[in-house]
Formats: sequence, structure tokens, C-alpha cells
Amino acid sequence: MKNFILKGASALIISGLMLGSATAADVNTIAILTPEEGTDYGWNQQGVDAAKAAGEAAGVEVIVAQGLGYGDVRPTLRELAEDGANLMIAHASGYNTAAPEIAKELNVPVAIVDTPSALTPGLIADYTLSGHAGAYLAGRMAAKMSRSNTLGIVVSGEPPSWNSQSAGFAQGVKAENPDAKVIYAVIGPAAYSDAAGGKRVTESVIAAGADIIFGQGNGSSFGMLQAVETSKAGDGGKVLFIDVIGDKTAIDKGNLLSSVVWNIEPVYSAMIADLKSDTFGTKSYAIGLADDSVKLLKTPQIPDDVWTDVMAMRDDIISGKITVEPVFEATAVRAMMSDVQE
Amino acid sequence: MGSLFSEVFLGALLFGAVAAAVPLLLAGLGEQISEKSGILNIGIEGMMIAGAYFGFLVAYSSGSLWLGFLGGALAGGIVASVMAILCVRLGLNQIVIGIGLTLGLEGLTALLHHVQFSRTYPRLPAADVLAIPLLSDIPVLGPALFRHHLIVYLAVALVFVMIYVYRRTQLGLNLQAAGDKPAALDVAGVDVVRTRTVAVLSTGALAGIGGAYLANIGAGIFVPFITNGAGFLGIVLAMLARGRPVWVLLGALLFGISLSLTTALQVAGINIPTDVIQMIPFLAVMIMLVAFGRRSSLPAALGIPYERGAR
Repeated sequence: MKNFILKGASALIISGLMLGSATAADVNTIAILTPEEGTDYGWNQQGVDAAKAAGEAAGVEVIVAQGLGYGDVRPTLRELAEDGANLMIAHASGYNTAAPEIAKELNVPVAIVDTPSALTPGLIADYTLSGHAGAYLAGRMAAKMSRSNTLGIVVSGEPPSWNSQSAGFAQGVKAENPDAKVIYAVIGPAAYSDAAGGKRVTESVIAAGADIIFGQGNGSSFGMLQAVETSKAGDGGKVLFIDVIGDKTAIDKGNLLSSVVWNIEPVYSAMIADLKSDTFGTKSYAIGLADDSVKLLKTPQIPDDVWTDVMAMRDDIISGKITVEPVFEATAVRAMMSDVQE
Repeated sequence: MGSLFSEVFLGALLFGAVAAAVPLLLAGLGEQISEKSGILNIGIEGMMIAGAYFGFLVAYSSGSLWLGFLGGALAGGIVASVMAILCVRLGLNQIVIGIGLTLGLEGLTALLHHVQFSRTYPRLPAADVLAIPLLSDIPVLGPALFRHHLIVYLAVALVFVMIYVYRRTQLGLNLQAAGDKPAALDVAGVDVVRTRTVAVLSTGALAGIGGAYLANIGAGIFVPFITNGAGFLGIVLAMLARGRPVWVLLGALLFGISLSLTTALQVAGINIPTDVIQMIPFLAVMIMLVAFGRRSSLPAALGIPYERGAR
């Protein structure tokens, strides 16, 4: 009996020590995994930059594993866990199957996107973010500036975050000009790096009458940008491009109208804080206009009066005077486009 | 809905179909050469992405698309030479080496892009087009089919060159024999290993040009993983074509047209799941496979390394 009690107590102590490996006091290192290089002026770069900023603010080492592609990242996750990562941020919707598996296997917390149902206290957090309010403002701006009253949305996939922005953009267009037409085209089921597809589809949307393109893609967005730069609108004038998540000003050739820029640093900082306070995996995270974690990029292409109007609308959204509901389901987004066209 | 039927829109769709088909055509024709000789060239995706990167690098550096295509062909050929050494000369497993080359080249080109272009993302100007007199004036079809860069016409012409090579030349016969009965070819005094090596190198060059087209004209930019499986589609087309170059052309065009159809349906505002729409190109190819591919016969020695005297 004495032996049994001693063994039981030892087992409890060892279990406690093992569980402790995933708790607060041990947040010394975080890792972020991205499918493309963190220099894309978009999703990947914003993720990497935000992780570095959050790590620096919290005094935590950050390991960046970038350009991993869209395939199986289980080996990379295992390596990062072996390297001592206390949190692994799987920064791609394509990783949201592998990352929870590895989290359970190795008892290392992971953060994933586009899977709110996967929340698991202490182990799995979801940060499905939405810049729909910013996209709404972009839609209002585009409808004000379009010469053809036809706006195009080109996306390289339909993850929830992008769906909500497509919907927000369409809602903004409709609110500004109910007669405007919104054309919606998806390059492919997961054509995130299909730059040639991005160019081809965008050229078709421009040929259908759009003179402003709201583009959402990773590598494929460079193809969209190329199409905008090398094509003429129906009236022979310039086609403009509205980007999302990042800021492509540094590589702009004069066609970048704006971007719905995200700052993910507050989200990652909150995750680190949650790990430290043992509340990781118990809540969702959000970005928004109020703290500028979602904001519209100002470029020389935007007339001052339009910018002033749009900023007034921004204030109205923050104050609650204008409400923009996020729409995450692809089916609902498409229905919205059809409605706008009718 | 009206915009769906505008001349400009239909023209853009057809133009896009041709633009999407050309890389597949070049990859498919290249794969066909390898398969005829008995080499299952799974590494073609890697050869394409090598051609895309180096083709873009050369075109951007020199300002010449033609030098870019040459650079693409050389890069594809160099990757193919690795495959030739490992699979043809040393007889290693063609599938394993092919996958290894593809993964390796995807990583290498992403790394090189990171070092060289990831802060500037240079883009090429729109390619000059060659308008075929009279034909290019036909409404809708003219601008879509007869106003392309010269490389497009050359790619189509290559189909007929390959038909001639396969049917009328000793090289064509040698390729066929290397794939069907390599021992017989050997007995006839023709070097099987050399024949297969030439085939693999040709595949690499064509895949490299296809990749260069994708980056330089199709996208106007190189980004990591830009080929997005185009090389694998080339393999499918080559298998479907049963050794016939015209079928590669038809398959590539069918795929390109199907891609444009998906865009047309979406632009028309047809509210059915995009995933269903996006299935159309692959469905079209699968139907083609079921309808015509059942009678296909692949070379008897496909995928089998040749070793003189081995039974």
C-alpha cells in the first residue's frame, strides 16, 4: 500500500512537471510558420513582422520559418517544438489540420486561422481575423472613384477572412452607389501563389468593365497588380488596385489606390499574455478600426475630398453609427455579389 | 450579364485560354518525348520552375524575352541533366528522383527569389505581340487567337514538328523503340542510354521554356511556387495524348478554355459554389481521360531503367 501511494504521488509530480512545460512561466520562445516569404508586402510579411514585434515587446525569442509552401508542415512543426518553441503560430489556413495534430501530439500550444471551432484551452487558439470594416471603407471609396461604376473583386481562394473582406467591400459599394456593379472572380480553390492565374483572371474582369480591382491573394496578388498595370480600362484610362493586409507602396508603379492594412501585433501580444495567464485557447481575437489594427492606406491616387469623406465614415463605424456585419461564408458572399449585380 | 457577351470580354477570355494553354502545351510535349523513350519524368514541375526563375532573371536582366526563353531552356536542361544522370545512367527510381527534383527546385528558386527579388518584386512590361495580318482582324477570335507573342505560334508549330519527328525520322523511331523495346534498339546498334538522355534533356528544355513563358508573359513576374502544378498537368496531358502531339495541343486548349469558362461563369454572377466551378477544368480532363484514354497504351518499358543484358 505504501509503495502504491509513493508511486502514485511520483506519477502525479511527474505529470505536473510535464504539463508545466506548456504553461505560462515557460514562454521564452515563439515560432511562426508562413507558406511564403515574409517579404510579400502582404499576409506573410504582416504575420512575420507582427510576431517579431510581439516577441520583442514581451522579451520572447521569435523563430521564423517562412516559405514553407502549402504542403505538409508537420516535420517543421516537430522541429520547432524540439527547438523549444512554447507557441507555434501556424500562419496559413492550409496548416489548420496539421498544427492541432502536432499540438496534441507534443503538448505544445499552437495558434491557427480559419478554425474557430478548434479552440482548446491551453493548447489551440484560433485567430480568424476580419478586416471587413476596412474593406467596407474601401468599397465606399472605390464606388466614389469608379468611372465605369463597375468594380472587380479578384481572390485566390475563399478563406473566411477574405470572404468577410469581399463582403465588406461589396456592402460598401452598394451603400455608396446602389447602381454600381460588383464582379467577383476566384482564381482557383487555393491558388495563393498563382501569379499567372491572378493576371489572367484580373484581365478578364477588367475586360468585363471593372476599372478598380479589389484584390486578395498572396503571391497571386502580384499577378493582379501586373494586370492592372498593363491593362487599360474600358474608357482607355488607368485601372486602379486596392490591396489587402499589407502595404505595397514600395513597389507601386502608380496604380495602387489603397490597401486594407492589418496590424496583427496586438493579436500575437494578446496570445503571449494569454499563455502567461493560462487563458490561451479560451477566446477569439479581433482587429478593427478603433485601434488602427485595421486601416486604409492613403496614396496619392486618392483625392483629398474622397479621403475626408471616407475618414468620416470610419469615425461613424467606430462610433456605431454605421454597422458592418462580417460575412464569413463563401456562399453568402457570392449571393451578395449577385444581389449587387441585379 | 450583358458584359458577358461583349466582344472585349469574350476576346479577353479566349486570349486568357490561350495564355493558360501554352505552358501546358510545352510541358506536355516535353513530357511526351521522355515517356516515348521510356522515362517517366515526374521532375518536370521542377524543370518548369527552374525555367521560370532563370527565364525571368535573364529576361529582366537583359531586357530581352528571347534571352529569357533561352535562359529558361538552359535551366530546364540543367535540371534534366541531373535526372538523366541519376535515372538514365545510374538507373535510380524515376518517381523518387522526379519528386526530389521538384521539391528541391521549388525550395531553391524560393530561396533565390528571397535573396534577389523579395524586396523589389520587379515586373516585366507587357510582351510585344505579333498580329497575323487579316486573321487578327476577325471579331473576337482575331485578337484572342492571332495577336500573341511569337513564342505562342512557335509552340503550336512545334506540335507539327513533333508529328514529323515521330513519324518520319530515325530519331522518332529510336525514341519509340527506347520506350517499347529498348533491348531491340540496343541490338540494332543504337545507344539506348544516349537516346533516353537526349529525350530527357529535350523535356527539360521545353519545360524550361514553358516555365519562362509562365513567368515572363503569363504573369510578368516570378513568385515562389508560380508553376502551381502546371508540370503535373503536363504529365497528365502527355499520358492522355497516347504519344500524339495533336492531342497534347487539344488537351492544353481544353484546359485553358475550361479555366476561362470558370471565370466567365463567376463574372456572370452564377451563384453556385466556386469549388464546383473550379472543378470544370479538371472534370473536363477526366472526362477526356475516360472517353479516350481507356484505349491508351503506354510504352512497355516506361519507368523501367535499361540495363544491357538484364532480364
